Amino acid sequence: MALASPFSLSIVAITLLALLGLPIGHSMIAGSILYLLLANLDMATAAEQMLNGMYSNYIILAVPLFILAAELMNIGSMTERLLRFCNAVVGRFRGGLAQVNILQSIIFAGMSGSAIADAVGTGKMMQSMMTAGGKYRASYAAALTAATAVIGPIIPPSIPMILYALVSDASIGFLFLGGVVPGLLMALSQMAIVAIGARRENFPVEPPTRLRLLPGITWRALPTLMMPVVLLGCIYSGVTTPTEAAAIAGAYALVVSCVIYRSVGLRDLYRSLLASARTSAGVGMLIAGAMAFNYVVTVENIPADVKVLLTQWELSPVTFLILVNVLLLLLGCLLEGTTILLVIVPVLVPTAQALGIDIVHFGVVVVVNIMLGLITPPFGLLLFVMTRIAEVPIRDIVRDVVPFLAAMVAALGLITFVPELVLFLPRLLGYEG
Amino acid sequence: MAFDFSDWRGFLRRRAENALAAMLATMFVAFLLQISFRYLLGLSTGWTNELSSVLWVWLVLFGAAFVVREEEEIRFDLVYAAVGAGPRRVMALLAALALIVLYGISLPATWDYVTFMKVESTAYLGIRFDWLFSIYLAFVVAILLRYLWVAWRALRGVPPGADRS
Repeated sequence: MALASPFSLSIVAITLLALLGLPIGHSMIAGSILYLLLANLDMATAAEQMLNGMYSNYIILAVPLFILAAELMNIGSMTERLLRFCNAVVGRFRGGLAQVNILQSIIFAGMSGSAIADAVGTGKMMQSMMTAGGKYRASYAAALTAATAVIGPIIPPSIPMILYALVSDASIGFLFLGGVVPGLLMALSQMAIVAIGARRENFPVEPPTRLRLLPGITWRALPTLMMPVVLLGCIYSGVTTPTEAAAIAGAYALVVSCVIYRSVGLRDLYRSLLASARTSAGVGMLIAGAMAFNYVVTVENIPADVKVLLTQWELSPVTFLILVNVLLLLLGCLLEGTTILLVIVPVLVPTAQALGIDIVHFGVVVVVNIMLGLITPPFGLLLFVMTRIAEVPIRDIVRDVVPFLAAMVAALGLITFVPELVLFLPRLLGYEG
Repeated sequence: MAFDFSDWRGFLRRRAENALAAMLATMFVAFLLQISFRYLLGLSTGWTNELSSVLWVWLVLFGAAFVVREEEEIRFDLVYAAVGAGPRRVMALLAALALIVLYGISLPATWDYVTFMKVESTAYLGIRFDWLFSIYLAFVVAILLRYLWVAWRALRGVPPGADRS
């Protein structure tokens, strides 16, 4: 590739503009326009690609709808009731609240598709519960909350997996199923770390909930607990498409919060609509920019070139996956996950397929990897979110997050090398891959 | 309620926010209608799908043009956050100029493309594509104006984002 080719100049431009602090979506659009200019192509092509891509892609509509659903769950008292239920179940063990934090994230993961939404939603509440009366170090609580929020988009539903489906044409339904076992595996690894830490640091035990109170607490939390069942039931019974299921999730959260729990007013509703619309527009700009730039990448035949190059190296699938993992973990330290998913991953998918790696397995590995990037120091986004919520310096959170991160990297290794862990459930439900 | 004429910018901003929230709400309702029509009435509704897609295009571009602030967008701001006010002004100026030039030179061709699309309409609702895609032109013009403002202020010595209320 020539150094001064339109393509390399466009990449340089995007990188420079992004470094100057321009929103990444605008940087990619501007860089694509530069490419069209230098390559003497029609300069309307960038707009054409974005507009048609945005208009004709049915599955991206799930993104704003899942963002809205998560927002609607966070304003009602669904979170609070769920936490009370989890506390009744696992609070009695040593380090009880820490285990509650992990358990709630598994259940919550079944409802919202975004790690940031999970951290902001239950994160605030977990943080104040865990630090009340000096039970846990604030930095430990924050690190744990960041780590458990990562599970959210691995267990379905998941916005990152929708974005992967968008760039790879893998089935959303099977991708979602593929995330279940890895998600639970990560939760188990976190529970083990908590159990070890609990013994060493003598974490407090919550006063055990009397067993006769348990049915009542479960009953009050039941509408919340049923949500993942309803949502996944809709998708896998074939009643709704995954995109429609996102709307069902929102409607369900709305009904539970407004009608059953009566905890949401019109003003709250408007605020969450606006907040979700803003977030969606932000993510949408990134998707639009990626669509413009991916056109450039396709015109330049980059994915095919990468495929030829990498097959020449005669990589084994396992070596390729290791390389991808290392590359993504490094990139994840610098770039935001959505950008990696939309721009870097599409370049790698054809090679993965050529090497005979299953596209669903590849997707789950990639998403898990990108989620780990959210808590990888120094720039993991969730670490920053938790610094703000917990008001503790980031270096303290980093220190406490390291054991969790190590356990999850080990889990990532496991699902990379044992594809059956990912593919077992999808195959059980008819996936032929 | 008395209207405060001195706060016309705040007024416009709130109306833009209302519109954005309404777009998402409509999209949400369209989906619910689609599902209920199919199961309760056994009807398949192409128009709900189409409406949602139209609204999604508008939500993103309208939102990016008139509601979402630069600080809220997904950016890589490590360098920007690490430097002082002087370098920030230079960075903001360079980025703004590059964006103005590139969006600016693509505008005529984009105008031609969007106006050319009047020959096609959407399948169910019959919305002409030039109207549907016109939001992109509004988006480009709004972004051009916004970054002209950013560049002007950077030149005048106001650090970017100094007086955002």
